[in-house]
Amino acid sequence: MLQHHGKIVSSSLLLVFLLVAFSLPAIASDFTINLDRTEFDNGGTFTVTGKAPAGSRVFLEIWSEKQVRASYFDSKKDPQTGKIPYILYLSKEVPAYYQIILPADEKDKLQAIKAEGKKWSLSKALKDLGADVAYRAPSKIKIDAYKAGFLASVIGSRGKLLPPLDPKETRKRSMQLIKARFRDPDKIFCPALEISPDGSFKASVTLPKDSAPGRYYVVAVTDKGERSAPVYLENHLRFPSVYLSNAGTGINIFGPFLLALAITTFGVLMGAGGGFILNPLLVSLWPLPHTVVAGTVMPTVLFSQASGIYNYTRIKFINWKLGLSLGAAMVLGGFIGPKLTELITLEQFKFIFGWILLVLAGLMVWQTTPGYLERHKKEQAILKEFRRRAEEAAKARLAKEGGR
Amino acid sequence: MKMKIEFWGQEFEVNVLLGCLGSFLIAVISSMFGFGGGPFMVPLLTVGLGLPMYVVVGSSLLAIFFNTLMGSLRHYQFGNFDPLLFLIMFPAAILGGYIGPQIAKRVSPVAVKRIAAAGLVLLALNLLGVY
Repeated sequence: MLQHHGKIVSSSLLLVFLLVAFSLPAIASDFTINLDRTEFDNGGTFTVTGKAPAGSRVFLEIWSEKQVRASYFDSKKDPQTGKIPYILYLSKEVPAYYQIILPADEKDKLQAIKAEGKKWSLSKALKDLGADVAYRAPSKIKIDAYKAGFLASVIGSRGKLLPPLDPKETRKRSMQLIKARFRDPDKIFCPALEISPDGSFKASVTLPKDSAPGRYYVVAVTDKGERSAPVYLENHLRFPSVYLSNAGTGINIFGPFLLALAITTFGVLMGAGGGFILNPLLVSLWPLPHTVVAGTVMPTVLFSQASGIYNYTRIKFINWKLGLSLGAAMVLGGFIGPKLTELITLEQFKFIFGWILLVLAGLMVWQTTPGYLERHKKEQAILKEFRRRAEEAAKARLAKEGGR
Repeated sequence: MKMKIEFWGQEFEVNVLLGCLGSFLIAVISSMFGFGGGPFMVPLLTVGLGLPMYVVVGSSLLAIFFNTLMGSLRHYQFGNFDPLLFLIMFPAAILGGYIGPQIAKRVSPVAVKRIAAAGLVLLALNLLGVY
C-alpha cells in the first residue's frame, strides 16, 4: 500500500519535472529583450539589448504591422519536370517593413550573398546565414496562387485561382514575395548584433526614413528556435511626409510633386507625354512598386487628354471614323496591358523601359533631321491654315446660333 | 483592308488593318508601362499609314484617350492605383500643362528635341544597367 503510494508520488513528481523541463525553453524566462526608445518620428536609430540563454547565437526579427501587396510570377523552368509553371503568387499581407538582424560576424557571408547579384535567393541566404529559424512573421501570410495561361492573359484575367497553399509551400513562396518586395539583401539583412558568451546581446538598428507608420515588432530568436516575447515600437509620419498605403512607403509629397511638374512641363516642350520619363524616374528614386507607378501615372493624363479632345472637336479637327476604329483596337490593348504589369519584375520593367526610351530617343533625333524638318514645316503650315479655317467656321457657327 | 476617310473636303485611303494592329500593340505596351502612346502613334499614322499631320493630331488623341481610359480602369481593378500618389501628381500634371506652352513659345523645338534625346539615352542606359 505504502509502496504503491510512493509510486504515485514519484511518477507525479516525474510528470511535474517533465512538464517544467519541456516548458522551460518555450517560456524562456531568462530570455529578455529591451529597446532604448519606442517612439519614432519618421524613422531613427534605436538600440536593442537583451539576454539570451548562454552560448546561443541570436537573431532579431523586425517587422511592421502595416501590410502591403506583393506579387511574384513563377516562370522559371522546373529542373525536375522541365515544365514552366506560369503561376502568379500574390499576397496582400506582406509586411511593409521586414528585417532580420544578424550576428555581426556574418558580414562576410552577407557580402557573398550580395555578390550573387539580382539572382540571389532568400531561402538559400537564410540557410547560409543560419537565420532560417528567425524567419517567421511573413511565413504564414495568406498567398493566392493563380495559374496563368496564354488564353487567360489574352482575355486579361489573372487566371484560375489554385487551391490554398499548404504551410510549407506558403513559407517557401512568402520568401519569394519578400524578395520581390525588398529586392536587396541589404534591406532584409543587417549584421549588427554583438553577442557575448554569456548570452547578452546588443545591436544598434536604424529604422529608415519614409518607413511605414504604425507599430513595429521586434523579437529575438536563438539558433535553437527559442523566441523572446515581442517588444514594440511606434513610428509616426508627419506632413509633408505621407504614407502611400498601396505602395507601402512613406514619401515627402514635394518629391513626386516637383518631379511630375518638371517632367510634364518638359513633356509639353518635346511634344511627348511625361509618362515616359516620369515612370522610370519614380521607380528609381523612391521604393515605389512599378505596378503602382504605372497604375497611378496613367490616369493623371486623362483630364488633359479629354480637354484636348474637347478643343479639337470644337474646331471639327477629329475624324471620328479613324479615331474610333483605332480607338477600338487601343481599348483592347489597354484591357490586356495592365494585366501584364504584375507578371514582370521591377528589373524587367526597367530593362524593357530602357529599350523603349532608346527607340523614343531615336524618334526624337529623326524629328530633328533636315529632311523631316522641311516636310514638317510644310505640314505645320497646312495644319495652321486648317486650324484657322476650322476656328473661323466654329466662330461663324456660334454667331449664327447666337443670332437665331 | 482599306478604309476611306474624309477630312475637310479631302479624301484619304487608310490601311485600317495595319493601323489597328499597330495601335493595339502600342496600347498593350503603353498601358503595361503606364505612359500615353502619343509619340509612337503619330509616327505610326504619318509614316506607317501615310496620313498628313493635320489629320493625325486630333484623331490619334481620341484613340489614345480610349487606351488611357481602359488602362486606368484595369489598373484600378488590379489594385495598382494609389489615391494619395495620384492626388500629389495630378495637380502637378495640370500645372505643367499650363506652364509648358508658356515656355514653348520662347525655345527652339529642335534644340528641345535634341536635349530630350540626349536625356532619354542617358536615362535608358541607366535603366539598362550600363552605368
